Amino acid sequence: MRRGAAPTLALAPVSLFVGLLAALPVAFLVGRALVSSGLPGLVAAWSDPLNGQAVENSLVQGGLSAVATVASGYPLGVLLGRYDWRGRSVVRAALVVPFLLPSLVMVLGVEDLFGPTSPMAQALPAVTQLARGVPGIVLVNLLFNVPMVALLTAVGIESASAPLEETLTTLGAGPLRVYREAWGPPSWRGALAGGLLTFLFSALAFAAPLLLCGPRCYTVEARVWSLVRELLAPGEAALLAGTMVVLLVAPALAYFLLVRRLEGAGPGASRRLRPIPWRSPGAWPVLAASVAVLALLTGLLGSVVARAVVAARPGGAPGSAWGALFTGSATAGGIPTSAALVNSLVFAGSAAAIATLLAVAAGFARRDGVRSALRVYLFLPLLVSPVVLAFALATFWRPLLGGDAQVWLLVLLAQATVALPFALQSLDVGLAAVPRAFREAAQSLGARPFAAYLEGELPLARGALVTGALFAFALGLGEFTATYFLVTPAFTTLPVELYHYAATRAAGLADALAGLLVVVSLAAFLLVQRGGYRVLL
Amino acid sequence: MSSSEGLEVVDLAVAWNGVRVLDGVTFSLRPGELVTLMGPNGSGKTTLLRAIAGFEPVAAGRVSLEGRDLARVPPHARGVGLLFQEPVLLPRRTVAENLAFGPEVQRLDATLVAARVAEAAERLHLGDLLDRPSEALSGGERQRVALARTLAARPRLVLLDEPFAAVDPELRAELRSEFRRILLREGVSVLHVTHDREEGLFLGDRVLLLDRGRLVQAGRPREVFENPATAGVARFLGYNVAREGDRLVAVHPTEVELLAPEGAEVEATVVASGPVGDGWAAFLEARDGARWEVRGRSGPPPVEGARVGLRGRRRVLLPR
Repeated sequence: MRRGAAPTLALAPVSLFVGLLAALPVAFLVGRALVSSGLPGLVAAWSDPLNGQAVENSLVQGGLSAVATVASGYPLGVLLGRYDWRGRSVVRAALVVPFLLPSLVMVLGVEDLFGPTSPMAQALPAVTQLARGVPGIVLVNLLFNVPMVALLTAVGIESASAPLEETLTTLGAGPLRVYREAWGPPSWRGALAGGLLTFLFSALAFAAPLLLCGPRCYTVEARVWSLVRELLAPGEAALLAGTMVVLLVAPALAYFLLVRRLEGAGPGASRRLRPIPWRSPGAWPVLAASVAVLALLTGLLGSVVARAVVAARPGGAPGSAWGALFTGSATAGGIPTSAALVNSLVFAGSAAAIATLLAVAAGFARRDGVRSALRVYLFLPLLVSPVVLAFALATFWRPLLGGDAQVWLLVLLAQATVALPFALQSLDVGLAAVPRAFREAAQSLGARPFAAYLEGELPLARGALVTGALFAFALGLGEFTATYFLVTPAFTTLPVELYHYAATRAAGLADALAGLLVVVSLAAFLLVQRGGYRVLL
Repeated sequence: MSSSEGLEVVDLAVAWNGVRVLDGVTFSLRPGELVTLMGPNGSGKTTLLRAIAGFEPVAAGRVSLEGRDLARVPPHARGVGLLFQEPVLLPRRTVAENLAFGPEVQRLDATLVAARVAEAAERLHLGDLLDRPSEALSGGERQRVALARTLAARPRLVLLDEPFAAVDPELRAELRSEFRRILLREGVSVLHVTHDREEGLFLGDRVLLLDRGRLVQAGRPREVFENPATAGVARFLGYNVAREGDRLVAVHPTEVELLAPEGAEVEATVVASGPVGDGWAAFLEARDGARWEVRGRSGPPPVEGARVGLRGRRRVLLPR
């Protein structure tokens, strides 16, 4: 094999996967709609006030959510990155939990915490405003994304140069000037990366607009779903989806650039910054803001769990919803919850296996870095929203696979596609921590490059690999949007069932199921924590 | 020296997780004095520097500068300049902007800032580089800019943490002389950390030797070199340390005489030998397992594998 062919070959499976399951179907979807409806169709789609409203909602909700999330998450990131306190590593690890939960659980949590029947609303009725409409959607987006902003801010801070900070200090710069010159800019980069990702996720939010507001708040994601499923206008939906993909290219690229800068940490990143003393002027405001955010998150998860424990069917005893879920007396998607749980586990497990195997193969080529364009291409699934992905998969692959009979395969592949960027990123972080000298030493001892990778580097990055796999599994378990779009009753998953219960106000069943998802996510978190690696995304 | 002058460190201790990495360190620096702090890796040199600068919490003892106890003085208000092995310049700023940083944060007016920048640039011959971005400088230039920037802030004490370790040997010799000349002319007290014994002995008015967190010897370079106080100091200074009866003696490699093996005090086998600089070096293993280094200037080096006798022309008795 000629020199350089092995990395190309290692990238082939993941490139093909992204091509066949994201790039090609989406291009086919949008291309076919453009060809069949032409420019007049495009103009008509753009001039439809409801479509315009959806684009506006996406941008407004995305923008408001990003600003609110960065404002809330930045102090917490500073607390994690610059202050020394007992329990910091536990809190830091636990922050990944909300991100592993389906956004539906966040929606229910916000209703539990601020809805009309919540204890808080009894004391302060005005808080119910936070559980509906745009404020409710923004709050759900904030709670879902604030841990990510905090973690990325902390990662940014950790990339700052300790010698630079100390040099400027000895030159006479006070804490504020040192912040401006030494560790502020990398922390802003981290927070901005988190803000951009929040914008992307929020602009493409699905469950919150559907459940907390309705059509007047639909994002493009929800509008596309509605056009396909309710209004039977797939051509218009495809054009709208294509428009949104184009609109989101710029923030996605900006995010990738920022993350690259965070990964290529500064010259002083090998030594950690000294913790800021608690007596410094900014410490207490940072602490107060962080405690507020953590209390909100804890309160939300706590209220979901508390409701789940006593979840009752209408007129039933506390806890009766659990019996109904597992005895098969309650079915939402057409199958009992136990069957939905099995479906969820099988889909998530298979999707995680596929994403991890692809990441392992790609890791061989990607450990030395790949061109930016290729990197963006591999992370395309992050750019294409789940509804658009599912819509494209259904349009392109369903006829080729013989209709609904093979829908399980599409669900599985969709979940693997959604999880792929996280598996790739996790392994990247782990492999970056393996010294290059290790590989060179192995090769100088006679190991071929791929053998040195498989038998040497990969075992050293085992923690990151396991973390990526568990993360992919947890994401698959909580994946709702694409699955909901594709699934047939026989393959209903837990989040889809939860949506049905929540949408039909079968509160007891929804509460119990949400609690079950929190428990499963917590279990995934505990396993991820054992891996000890962080997923930068 | 009165306590109101220079730097005074009294019984200083620094602990990490309850373990003292510095303990009972006491010394002083007179104004305008350049003192080198030497010791093997891990002896606590950098920790001592960082404690003086205020970056390491002090477990016990006192640090004062010009009579002022620094215990409650934050690092930025201590008037202590610190230079690292890798010069740290402000990214995306010109040399002039880097030089102006210290005077600016001291809120000097613009004309004074400009004067300080010009003065520092002139001292370090940076006039042609003032408009150049920091990323476009060579290693030596970066180190000179870092020193100029430190001096422009007018510190009362300069701490140098192995500033020449990362530059190539040719440039290192040039920078050493230049830094020493400038710092002495500046009249500022300097504490210079190095693990390079030649550099330490060459640069310092006095040298301090640190070993496992304790100050084990202090004095003028020649005094310290000729009379190492402990076996650790002797080894650090390049001496052979051997047992002679129930005593330890130190013999410098240049003071070892090679003899016929028969009847010699120490009998050894040549393990390796070869030319070094303007002479030769040989590494030997004595019958008791002790390793010896011998350096000579004239004649050929001993042949590898040969048995020889060793005798120290000048031996330093070490405390038991």
